[in-house]
Amino acid sequence: MFRFVLRRILLMVPVLFGLLLLTFVMLQMVPGDPAATLAGENATPEQIAEIRQKFGFDDPIVVQFGRYLGQIAQGDFGVSAYSRRPVGDDIVLRLPATLELTLVALGIAAVGGILVGTLAAVWHNSPFDHGVRILSVAGLAVASFWFAIMLQMLFAMELDWLPLRGRLPTGLAAPPDVTGLYLVDSLVAGQFGTFWQALQHLILPAFTLSLGGLATIARFTRSSIIETMQRDFVTYEEAVGYPKRRIILPYVLRNSLVSPVTQIGLLFGQLIAGAVVVESIFDWPGLGSYLVEAIFTSDYKAILAVTLVVGVIYAAVNIVVDLIHGIIDPRVADQM
Amino acid sequence: MKTSLLRSVALAATLMAALPAGAQAQDKPSEIVWGDTLPKGLDPHVVYDVPMQFILLNNYDGLFRYVGNPPELQPWLAEGYEVSDDALTWTITLKPDVTFHDGSALTADDVVYSFKRLLEMGQGPSGAFKPVLKPDNVTKVDDLTVQFVLDKPYTPFLAALPLVAIVNEDLVKEHEKDGDWGAEWLASNEAGSGAYSIDPSTYRPQENVDMMRFEDHFYGWDDNANPVDIVRAAPVKETSTRVLALIRGDIDATDSYLPTDQVERVEKADGVHVAQDESMRVMLIRMNNQRPPFDNKNFRKCVSHAFNYDGFISIILKDYAIRNAGPIPNNLWGAPADLEPYSYDIEKAKEFCDAARAEGADLDRPMEIQIQSALDQTTQSAQLLQAGFQELGLTLNLVPSTWAQLTTDAASVETTPDMWVHWVSTYFVDPENWIGQMYDSQFHGTWKASSWYQNDKVDELLREARAETDQSKRATLYEEASRIVVEDAADVWIYNTVQLRGLSDKVQGYKFSPVGSGGDIRWISIED
Repeated sequence: MFRFVLRRILLMVPVLFGLLLLTFVMLQMVPGDPAATLAGENATPEQIAEIRQKFGFDDPIVVQFGRYLGQIAQGDFGVSAYSRRPVGDDIVLRLPATLELTLVALGIAAVGGILVGTLAAVWHNSPFDHGVRILSVAGLAVASFWFAIMLQMLFAMELDWLPLRGRLPTGLAAPPDVTGLYLVDSLVAGQFGTFWQALQHLILPAFTLSLGGLATIARFTRSSIIETMQRDFVTYEEAVGYPKRRIILPYVLRNSLVSPVTQIGLLFGQLIAGAVVVESIFDWPGLGSYLVEAIFTSDYKAILAVTLVVGVIYAAVNIVVDLIHGIIDPRVADQM
Repeated sequence: MKTSLLRSVALAATLMAALPAGAQAQDKPSEIVWGDTLPKGLDPHVVYDVPMQFILLNNYDGLFRYVGNPPELQPWLAEGYEVSDDALTWTITLKPDVTFHDGSALTADDVVYSFKRLLEMGQGPSGAFKPVLKPDNVTKVDDLTVQFVLDKPYTPFLAALPLVAIVNEDLVKEHEKDGDWGAEWLASNEAGSGAYSIDPSTYRPQENVDMMRFEDHFYGWDDNANPVDIVRAAPVKETSTRVLALIRGDIDATDSYLPTDQVERVEKADGVHVAQDESMRVMLIRMNNQRPPFDNKNFRKCVSHAFNYDGFISIILKDYAIRNAGPIPNNLWGAPADLEPYSYDIEKAKEFCDAARAEGADLDRPMEIQIQSALDQTTQSAQLLQAGFQELGLTLNLVPSTWAQLTTDAASVETTPDMWVHWVSTYFVDPENWIGQMYDSQFHGTWKASSWYQNDKVDELLREARAETDQSKRATLYEEASRIVVEDAADVWIYNTVQLRGLSDKVQGYKFSPVGSGGDIRWISIED
């Protein structure tokens, strides 16, 4: 198991190198001159050339990439040429917001999806099952920005139950920084009022973000359980006279979870990507909205840093998913 | 984090102590949430865009400032100025007893340092000065006098001075790192003397920053009985969220680009209204005057008659815009009052197209117009023009793009697209900001001059205007240049913007100025 993890971590290095190289090359090919953006209004061509030289944009791409790798190896993401803020500082500010949102959305999608999927499978071909199937398709088809606005109109404007935007009410100080996750940090500091506020602010964006994933996991769980229930050992147990609930939980569910768990792992990556839209609508100050701004201003260092961070998270999640596979299914663990 | 918490407490305590007795009696400092966009960094010599104007106006002071609408150029840190007859030497005297937020005195040294810093770093608004001012030619005469010696006569110099924030030299120098002029530090901190000081512990880029009223601001607060004590700047990115947040009372002001279809909705809601102010921001469709068939004047006139101006302004913009016949905003001096705008007239357009064909112009190739995907109006206007082209039997394709790409493409005739849509905003209030930098061929290669328009007579007029110190003479020169540029149909000029900002009714005394779009909080009073 230890060797498996180590091997996977070592494998991450070339994968991330490839990812960075690809992003770097693509950024060079995308039209848009960062020097022109930096030089701003009224800039003369000479001034743009001066900036290009100053920030090394005119060096050969190999030199630029090498210089960047050297910086990254020292744990330095560099300074944004646009804002002159250290990119690492911005990432530290933004990443926890995205992680908190994504993890809660993932939780809703996983728990909700498995629960709904299981019930749909147990009540196979019942009205509930049909309802779930229709909603699953709808959940995948609905545009998240439309859904978000509908939720805002209903829960924030009409009912006034939940806040409209942001992570906390404007003016309320963030809890002391430990993890950057407000739910955790406010509990650690014993600020239960802040915890309650942070939780309320999370509900709408997290639910919006989770919708597509919830639908996917529900569908996978449902079909996986139905398939398992048709296998011989279930038929045997039913024949012996085991009550249904005692078969489903310990035997069927465990045998059916490999596929949904893989989906959950993949979903994590999709959620981080999907967070771009949700973060913009709910003013969630995460990496998604940071990335969008970076793209609009050709802020290369910021784009590369976000790519790298998301890449690392994605790779790490995949390792964790494999480990969970091992726990659920001992046959997989034997091969590790 | 502990230090920033302590700092917040200390700042709050200082603020409470600084508040006038009346305000303390009200037990709580007044505050508003300002939902306008924040810049990516706080350094006013690095970031130069409309959101930066908010930081510039509130946290910093310049030598001069624009106030009101039409914007009046007022001496601000300056007490007065003298200019030599050859318009080369500008001597500016400073007001005495101006202090920075840390209590130190603002002197000529700080002004010299600020200009040197701007020019040496070469970012931000330096482009307005670099062609005429070398860093070494900004010198201190005495503690309250600064002298600027320009390389060549440049009258818009004075109009551009409000762009430059005067920073606290000692404070910035303390934080310099590897010759970076303190840029990394100033990106997240503030070293100004403005009416509001930033609480750096609350700063999260593009997300939040709290500003505290600076009781000792040199201008004083006598003209504002109930100023805002705390401004929490918290941008709301999405239009729908922004409008809902205003109506709910989560924010007290939106940005000043409220979509026209939201105006009625805001006006109908309780406790909020929309401030409407004519600005100086011209929307236009550019044409690459050096690429066939756009190098043909008759064809450009054909295009100018193929756009449905009235339809765009009255139906799409619900009349929240004012038809602008040429490149200079109607409400600025230098814009000729008698200028006849191009009208939407397909018959006339056909005649001009035929004339262009007769002159050998090839109109059969599909033409392209680049739009900025994030800005709906660029798409809407391009689609309207596309409809006009269809009636003429011409093909116009819409190509999505971004601002970063457009500004890069403008570097050469070959890479500049056939057409593209954008606005020219007010950075400084002088025809130079519009016609001067748009149609003088010396600016070819910059996005502002991206029509690649070339007319020797216009070059001559614009250059003469730039060196002339008498404003009435300058106005005549700009008027003449405008008439020629419009007769040449260099571009398609559409409208001058009406800025629309949603405001809470408790915000009183909102004073709009096209420079900074009304983001100058010092004039605002709070009414509960």
